[in-house]
Amino acid sequence: MIRLLTHLVAKDLRRKARAPLGLLIVLSFPVLFAGMIALAFGRGGDAIPKVRMLVANEDEGALGGVLASAFTARQAARVFETRTVGAGTGLDLMEHGKASALLLVPKGFTEDLLDGRPVSLRLVRNPSEGILPEIAEQTVGTLVDVLEGSRRVLDAPLAGLRPLLTSGDRSPSDDEIVAISLLVKRALERSGGLVFPPTITLESELLGNLPSTGEDSKEKGAGTPTIFLLILPGVAVYAIFLVGDQAMRDVMTERTLGTMRRQLAGPVTVGAYVVGKAATTAVLCLLALLVLTVVGALALRQPVSVTAFLAVSLALVVAITGTSALIYGVARTERQASTLSSIVYLAMAFVGGSFFRLEGLPAALRAIAPFTPFYWATQGYREVLEDGAGLRGVIPHVAVLVAIGVVLLTVGGSALHRAARRGAAA
Amino acid sequence: MIEAHGLVKSFGSLRAVDGVSFQVRTGELYGLLGPNGAGKTTTMSMLAGLLDPDEGRILFDGIDLAARPLAVKQQLGIVPQEPALYEMLSASENLRFWGGLYGLSGRDLASAVDRALQLVGLSDRAREPVRAFSGGMKRRLNLALGLVHGPRAVLMDEPTVGIDPQARLNILESVKNVTATGTTVIYTTHYLEEAEELCDRIAIMDHGRILAEGTLEELIRRVGGREMVTVRGGFAPEALRPVVAALPGVTVTAEDPGRVVLTIEGSGRGAVDVLARVLGAGLEIDGVSVQPPSLNMLFLTLTGRELRD
Repeated sequence: MIRLLTHLVAKDLRRKARAPLGLLIVLSFPVLFAGMIALAFGRGGDAIPKVRMLVANEDEGALGGVLASAFTARQAARVFETRTVGAGTGLDLMEHGKASALLLVPKGFTEDLLDGRPVSLRLVRNPSEGILPEIAEQTVGTLVDVLEGSRRVLDAPLAGLRPLLTSGDRSPSDDEIVAISLLVKRALERSGGLVFPPTITLESELLGNLPSTGEDSKEKGAGTPTIFLLILPGVAVYAIFLVGDQAMRDVMTERTLGTMRRQLAGPVTVGAYVVGKAATTAVLCLLALLVLTVVGALALRQPVSVTAFLAVSLALVVAITGTSALIYGVARTERQASTLSSIVYLAMAFVGGSFFRLEGLPAALRAIAPFTPFYWATQGYREVLEDGAGLRGVIPHVAVLVAIGVVLLTVGGSALHRAARRGAAA
Repeated sequence: MIEAHGLVKSFGSLRAVDGVSFQVRTGELYGLLGPNGAGKTTTMSMLAGLLDPDEGRILFDGIDLAARPLAVKQQLGIVPQEPALYEMLSASENLRFWGGLYGLSGRDLASAVDRALQLVGLSDRAREPVRAFSGGMKRRLNLALGLVHGPRAVLMDEPTVGIDPQARLNILESVKNVTATGTTVIYTTHYLEEAEELCDRIAIMDHGRILAEGTLEELIRRVGGREMVTVRGGFAPEALRPVVAALPGVTVTAEDPGRVVLTIEGSGRGAVDVLARVLGAGLEIDGVSVQPPSLNMLFLTLTGRELRD
């Protein structure tokens, strides 16, 4: 049996080797796609460029300082490289293209805000910096919303705080702090239902369940991810699914050629034929993974856990083989199968976060994501590549992928068996 | 060697094969002759183990195909109607794959491949990819693939359909070479000349049944002592019928506008008498042909239509 399977797989690989264009196109897709996205950031495969943020704070109150210091907070520091400058220097630096964006906080910002007078912040963006100024704009917009909301909710406590906010010279007494704290507490209790509606809490929990956001500090290393690295895993997973699809499509091709019928008239059982095609699909996917791994390793030079990477890869191959077997077992014609696989793979890649970060998808789609093998494979690779996870960190991903693969392979193999019998009798 | 007993196969309401039985002896070239739709290919599919018969059974050297399909298939060679080849591979690679599938390897496989290529005259094109082959060459390679593992019996399903006369001659020559090695062959065709030229015994099939079976001589003897006269011209068939009705032993076997086929019992002056009566009746005649007893005549007698219809 093993000899027969080896013979069948070797023949299919030889045929693919004689007409490699389709596979090469599919394999080049993730590299080109990730490369183009990386180029859009202007720095190819370098680490993600930080937003070079200039803050010119002319306000003498505390709120201007809060706004300025928000860009240097621990989390923001991963994205922003912030420098405090005078307005003139800032504009000069911007004109010379030395920064992504300049935030100008006007004089009297804190007082005007506390008095309820209209205030305006000015953000100057550098158009040559791609999407980096957009990140700055979105962040400043969020900060403005937070400040505006806080001012409305905490109106009474702020009145008590005002002397402290408008002048940084005086320290509050213990009594003042207690009184203000009580005012803040009551204000928050009154508006709690509005400011923290239950839906936000629910969404927060969902994000907390995502493996990519789970805490695993012992295993997570931490190199700075690159644009290439952010894009490549998801698109590569999609490409490997396409490779699997091409390999399994051979069931239809051989039916058309008459070679399937001829093999089944020889000493090949339908079961051996189906297993042979599944084995060819798995081998081709592994070869494709190897190619992408080599390309990725050369481009990224990122140290990763080899066992974790291998585990995710092997599990992915099982899932791909199962999925493609089901599609080609169900479809009656090559065109049907081609259309079905295009729709299914594209939809699963989109929903599973292969093309976009899950965090950027609507909550409804995020809820569906874990039902797709794309999600588990993409997240698994991201765990390994971005967060430096070891084997322990990807066990859930591997387990789910294998489970999906085994179930689909069982159902799909049976469907494929029936399809092959139909083809032999036709 | 190969026995088919009461084979029946239906597709929905269509009974494609309806009680077919025959026996093929070792080393014999047995022909299944019949028009398209006669049930030849369905019969071959059942013999190849690709279709399960609804009724009946197939024995290969006493082994039941349904009970031990792999044991039987291992000793069979298949030559399908349409070439089933891997076009991206060379002729030699195709042969190596199919030979290997039947368990050949190493030197045995290499010599089997050489032998098969030689048999079909493709030795000098062995390394070329099949996609570069002409239709006739593909047919020859298709034949070689069914022979590479040295089967004891080969099923050839209309291997000459749709090819030019020269390629057809090459294929027929190769088939003769195969039978010269003592290999048993079941050969389906709808070409009378092929059946007459190649087959040791012939079964005439139509509508899923075997209508007659025997050697060429035996079959022709069934229509022996008869002549088939075809009269062509610009007359209505019904105008000719009363003219010849009075002649003894003459029956109208088939008729089309402008053509009537008559069967005349006995030989000798029958055709001359027919011609004289037709001319005497003033019918406009373009031509008259007389055929000696043949398979076509037998088929016409058995079915009321010619094999070429």
